[in-house]
Amino acid sequence: MTADPAPATVRAYLDELRNALKGASPGLISDALADAEEHLQGEIAANPTKTEAEVLVTVVQTYGTPQEIAEEYRSMEAAIAGPFPKPEQAPKRYKGFFSVISDPRAYGALMFMLLALPTGIFYFVWTVVGISLSVPFLLFIFGIPFALLFLGSVRILSHIEGRVVEGLLGVRMPRRLPAQSSAETIWQRIREALTDLRTWSSILYLLLRLPLGVVYFTLGVVGIVLPIALIGGSFIDLVTDRSHIQMTDVPWLDHMFHTAPGLLMIMVIGALLIFVALHMAKGIGWLHGHLAEALLVRL
Amino acid sequence: MTEETAYTRKFRKELMAGLSSLVLLAVLARAGREMYGYEIAKAVKAEGEGGLIFKQGAIYPVLRSLDALGLLSSRVEASAFGPPRRYYGITDEGRRALSEWQGAWHDMREFVDEALAAHLAGAGPLLEHRV
Repeated sequence: MTADPAPATVRAYLDELRNALKGASPGLISDALADAEEHLQGEIAANPTKTEAEVLVTVVQTYGTPQEIAEEYRSMEAAIAGPFPKPEQAPKRYKGFFSVISDPRAYGALMFMLLALPTGIFYFVWTVVGISLSVPFLLFIFGIPFALLFLGSVRILSHIEGRVVEGLLGVRMPRRLPAQSSAETIWQRIREALTDLRTWSSILYLLLRLPLGVVYFTLGVVGIVLPIALIGGSFIDLVTDRSHIQMTDVPWLDHMFHTAPGLLMIMVIGALLIFVALHMAKGIGWLHGHLAEALLVRL
Repeated sequence: MTEETAYTRKFRKELMAGLSSLVLLAVLARAGREMYGYEIAKAVKAEGEGGLIFKQGAIYPVLRSLDALGLLSSRVEASAFGPPRRYYGITDEGRRALSEWQGAWHDMREFVDEALAAHLAGAGPLLEHRV
């Protein structure tokens, strides 16, 4: 472990740290990388007379080797999740069919589903327009900076989406923008971005968000409106003593809408559907959170 | 780096595990303003007789864990050069924790000092209050 030579560049240090953290949660890795990058750049800026390699030799002494740092982060994550007291939330487990009503995650997911359509449309349009302008523009001089700008916007959009996903769905995502590449020429930067699998998976995610957003939004609206309509409608029918629903094709259903016990039963069904909708939201939130984690988190 | 045994390194590490939180809260409370990681690392004078008491890199995960516990608050701000910085500030809950921890630390130090003094008294001349 001590046999490794000190990394000579910030990039190399971060690569080594990333290796040392292999297997940890993606959000944790990107946090550790962001912290290290911030510190190393600060150290370089504070020692303008030294070369990067010289600074790094001392940094490994003061800041710690990538292996040591990896260990610190792992033990921190274990401490937070484990014996360190975390008031309120930690011990609460949301189990059982009805307890979902007090589970903030279900409401967060429902909120996410409603937001998914407008944001999905925006992501889709932005990405499609960006790609279809970037490719032909590459024939011209200004095409290169344009393509870089577009790839940068994909990073930022993915990051914002990551924050929303963490806030509403509770899946840990990077807290910081991914490190900017230190490549010198503009071509190197583009090459680096294009060979980075995350660039493509992020674009795929942004495109996928439209169809998914349509489905989420539809399910979300139905999940909210259906119970309200069933409960509210039956209640009004009961109070006004006349049914507004005619279903002569299906006699038994029609009958249900015209008798008090039937209407009460519909209200009960509506109330149950609230719980079903919250469970559905929670499930979709869980699935989508993991999809986002797989496609957006830069390792 | 020094000729310390593995036992001693492990011992230092375990001692530091809880105390680094206390030190960081104290630094931020005394500063009375938000600070970013590198600034905090420089403010913590971690030089002991045998070199660094703990690595500066160990500060960052502790800051994050204090943030997650609500004892610190944090925000990210773009910086003139390099990557954006995360600024940390102490919360009211953090101040309360700090004063409680200070009490706990004083109790603990007295207890340990007494135990060590008793040990030394038994072995030979009483060695009081090493600086």
